[in-house]
Amino acid sequence: MSELKKLQTVINYEFLKHIRRKRLYVILLLVLISEAATLIGFQTMMGGFPDNAALLAVMLSVGPSMAAFGAIFFSGDAIAGEFESKTGFLLFTNPVKRTTLVLGKYIAGCMAVAILVIFAYAVLCISLFAVYQTIPPETAQSFGLCLLYSISILAVTFLFSSLTKSSMSAIVITLVLIMVISGTIESILMLAGKPYWFLISAAGDGIALVYEGNTELILSGLIPMEEAGNFPFEIQVPNIGHSVLAMVIYLVGGLIPSLIITNRRELS
Amino acid sequence: MNSSIVIENLTKYYDDFLALDNLSLTIEGNENIGFLGPNGAGKSTTLKILCGLLRPTSGKAYINGFNIASEKEKVLSQIGTIIETTEFYGYLTPAETLSYLGKLRGMSSDDLRRRIPQVIEMVNLEKWLNIKIEKFSRGMKQRLALAQTLLHDPPILIFDEPALGLDPRAVIEFRRIIIEAGKDKTVFFASHQLSEVAQICKHVAIIDRGKLLGYDAIENLERDYGSLENAYLELTGVPSE
Repeated sequence: MSELKKLQTVINYEFLKHIRRKRLYVILLLVLISEAATLIGFQTMMGGFPDNAALLAVMLSVGPSMAAFGAIFFSGDAIAGEFESKTGFLLFTNPVKRTTLVLGKYIAGCMAVAILVIFAYAVLCISLFAVYQTIPPETAQSFGLCLLYSISILAVTFLFSSLTKSSMSAIVITLVLIMVISGTIESILMLAGKPYWFLISAAGDGIALVYEGNTELILSGLIPMEEAGNFPFEIQVPNIGHSVLAMVIYLVGGLIPSLIITNRRELS
Repeated sequence: MNSSIVIENLTKYYDDFLALDNLSLTIEGNENIGFLGPNGAGKSTTLKILCGLLRPTSGKAYINGFNIASEKEKVLSQIGTIIETTEFYGYLTPAETLSYLGKLRGMSSDDLRRRIPQVIEMVNLEKWLNIKIEKFSRGMKQRLALAQTLLHDPPILIFDEPALGLDPRAVIEFRRIIIEAGKDKTVFFASHQLSEVAQICKHVAIIDRGKLLGYDAIENLERDYGSLENAYLELTGVPSE
């Protein structure tokens, strides 16, 4: 059997794992709740939906972003789990390259996360169409960025999963890296007026900020312009090219080392 | 090279701890070999190196002539293994697990349709074929572990304490299956149970502190030392009465 057929086999069974685990459905539910909370929040707290469909689209991007972060929960145990639960004694003693096993797991993870992202954008589009009878064209860009962001987060999580002894460690380290460390550095660079597009947290900002390509316009829908003018820093609207480049760097920089490390890792 | 398993000057360090010390051993085809030694003697380390799970610090090992370091996939296609108490994916059923592993081992769908019921029947898990493994007891998992080692009919079986967690009836059944399967295969069988080894194997290799202390037919050891137990105690440093 060719290595390609073995890859297909690994993808099939790993995808089956994602479909059968509760976490997929828990994240789907959370996406739905977050979108519903956004819509209800606008109706009840702000007296109705904004005039600008792009503004609601930005606010509803919380769902797709949550779907992207689902990647972390999907892949934290992808490699570490084989060592932690000792299923590696069963899997790694088969005549198949570890590179094939890791790639199969990665592709299956991408497929599972794609389900989440597609679901999140379906909810977003239905909501926008129900309110405005139109969907901002930038939604397609946002969808593409969100998919790319998800698989780059997946790759980073794979890297930590290949390095750590426990699945939980891989999940926590990835979350801290993206949400705390990268987020903090992004804030500092933002205050200093320096470029920060290369940070993984900033790359993810593009998912919401692609709309109309103008952050101020969107912010003005939420905050009175006189207050918006008092911001002590400038929000740099991410360039799509920069966002894509950053995500590809994290994808490659996460996946390739995880392949190398897993190939070298011993199961004692 | 016609030998099933050839181990040449295998040395393995875990940091500063010497687990295998220039271990050499050659096992000819279709022999059942017991691998004996006290805890920490290096049995599991040896078996894990043979299965490609660990890399030796130095030395070489061959399975059916294939070098473990440079031809790992070919080596793994020659063996069926139970290392420690096997853990399975709880979300799969035995049928799905065997199908998954069989495909990774290059078996066709037709082969799997024919072979899965056979090995499941061997280990008496027919009623559990389509139940998720998360519901299985330790003993049931070990029986499934035995089924997966036999699935692709490999010429070499490598077992590390395969009867761990089994009740006495299952141990007897396990032994019967291994003896039957071992008639036309090489079985390399690590265990602490001397009586178990004596019933399954004709030869034993005894190691301690990573060194081979003796490798002979059980009947020769019994003749020289009085019993396999005495041979084990004397060779591993505890004098017999």
